Amino acid sequence: MKQGFWGLQAWRRGAPLVILLALRIVVLPQGVRAGSEEDGIRTKLQQLEERLKQLEQQSATASSKGSAEAGQTKSPAIEELRQQLDILAAEVEKLRSGERLVEVTSEQVRSMGLAPSAAATYRKERGVSIAGYGQMLYENFKGANERGEPSSEGSQLDFLRAILYAGYRFNDKFVFNSEIEVEHTDEVSLEFAYVDYLANPHLTLRGGLLLMPMGLINEYHEPNVFLGNSRPETERRIIPSTWSEGGFGVLGSAGKFNYRAYVVNGLNATGFSSDGLRAGRQGGGEAKATNLALVGRLDVAPTPGVFFGGSVFTGNSGQGQFVVDGSKLGVRTTIGEVHAQAQIRGFDFRGLYARASLDDVADLNTALNLTGSDSIGKTQQGGYLQFGYNVLSQSSEKMQLTPFYRFEKLNTQHEVPVGFSADPTRHQTFHTFGFEFKPIHNIVVKTDYQWTRNSAKTGLNQFNIGLGYAF
Amino acid sequence: VDILDKPALFSESIEKLRAALLSGLFALVLVVWVFPLRAESLVSREEALAAIFPGATFKSERIFLSEKEQRDVAKLARAEVPSALWARYLVFSNGKEIGRAYVDTHVVRTKKESLLICLDEQGNVKRIEVTAFLEPPDYRASSRWYEQYYGKPLSNDLNLQRAIRPIAGATLTATATNNAVRRVLAIDHLLRQNPARGKLP
Repeated sequence: MKQGFWGLQAWRRGAPLVILLALRIVVLPQGVRAGSEEDGIRTKLQQLEERLKQLEQQSATASSKGSAEAGQTKSPAIEELRQQLDILAAEVEKLRSGERLVEVTSEQVRSMGLAPSAAATYRKERGVSIAGYGQMLYENFKGANERGEPSSEGSQLDFLRAILYAGYRFNDKFVFNSEIEVEHTDEVSLEFAYVDYLANPHLTLRGGLLLMPMGLINEYHEPNVFLGNSRPETERRIIPSTWSEGGFGVLGSAGKFNYRAYVVNGLNATGFSSDGLRAGRQGGGEAKATNLALVGRLDVAPTPGVFFGGSVFTGNSGQGQFVVDGSKLGVRTTIGEVHAQAQIRGFDFRGLYARASLDDVADLNTALNLTGSDSIGKTQQGGYLQFGYNVLSQSSEKMQLTPFYRFEKLNTQHEVPVGFSADPTRHQTFHTFGFEFKPIHNIVVKTDYQWTRNSAKTGLNQFNIGLGYAF
Repeated sequence: VDILDKPALFSESIEKLRAALLSGLFALVLVVWVFPLRAESLVSREEALAAIFPGATFKSERIFLSEKEQRDVAKLARAEVPSALWARYLVFSNGKEIGRAYVDTHVVRTKKESLLICLDEQGNVKRIEVTAFLEPPDYRASSRWYEQYYGKPLSNDLNLQRAIRPIAGATLTATATNNAVRRVLAIDHLLRQNPARGKLP
């Protein structure tokens, strides 16, 4: 279908920006108004402080002249001003605190010199939340692969992503949160957008476009959170980070346990390839939902800074698109992973193992015209171990300098159906060594070198430099 | 009948299981919606103080720090001091001061968080309660994470990646909290050296 400038596709791509703009227009004035109220009270407070000083000076002058009468008449005025000053100081401090409900009596409102409507700002707490992050990456590939064959990859500089989080708290129970992403400077998409119902500390109901709760990266993918310029390949091709689908579910925590369980639309097998499952993501935009999927995660955190757990995603990915011998292919897709992370006294350890298994792969290959070594992997697996240490952890509160090493193995064609063969380039090993430097917690500069090996001896090493920020 | 030998039957069973799960989830949504287990609420200062110091009495006061005192606190805490105005609660039991509590308001990412940081008589952290958190709840620290601070005085070791472990995925919350605790401990140290200082004229 031909799409004009105002066509559906253009509208979908622009929709996140429109939503953000609308939020800014509709909601931000409340925050601005709250700020102006605070400024007004501060001004009033300063005026009272000045007035108090004047009265104290007058009182001191009168006393020095021995005018007992003057001293007696001014003391009540000073005391009254002190009380007003104390009330205002308390209110300014409370207003600054952002606490939910500041009970302001009519008497206090009058004493603050505010109209009742202006004081309404004190009685309710809502608000827009804006945050974001971004990442730029320079990649320099080696001129020749493992065998010494020349490579034409060269170098690339890419502003990978610039993201704005926009959230809104409707009331104590309902919260909206979203991530609007611009990738490679010109691709706009909605990474997630959901509404939470905060039932109680142990249970939240969530619906919308959801990040799949799998692995260590998918939900926490800000550049200052993970080590290295590139996310581990296992968490790109088997767990296709960043991965979001539409659905609903529950999440929460109880003691040392954290859980999530969602029902979402399934993957779309049309995008599967010998390189993994990444292109099977649907991202919630006109997603095929003939087949739904379940995804769940459980983490245990025995002590702060340490947690381990696992997650499973399972559902059909055929989406009713493939008919073989008169019946639809289900293409059941199950991805499971286990992970662990520990951050103790500057040490940072992370490990993950993921495995995916697919049904009906031979028939799916036929339907997608994939032959020989282009087969989709019937089973796929990968994992990594990563170790880093912040060498400034015991000497600096703000700066961090963390050398790290990551060992990773990945095979997106661990098993292929009978009649097909595995492509040896899909069986890969990565060694990544690098540094990251954070002058402050919000900004990170990273550099690393990645040695890539595969069974076909065509691995290509690369050197990376990156800049990231989050606020 | 072994359903694994009969693909159609197996598929049907899966569909039934899925329908049951969906129905169960929908029922859970309805139950929670209609009968919330307990409303999540951030505690008020008064509620928190009463729970942390049962049977005690409290005196609320506002502290004004001079510019020099703000600089001294920042140097001691190794954290910025965003305001000259501080709320302090003195805690008494049988006429004796047994602790103090301060409210520290700071920005986590772009929105505010307020912590009621309670100290024991010696100036060690006794308890931390969140009284306001305007960022999305996902960034909020768990109560278990705050326990790392309990019983600790202001020291060089009271920092992230030292005695305090970070929060996965909420680095900025951890940083903001750590700065707040160090700031309050430094203010308390300064005021204990001169108890008459800082109070409203």
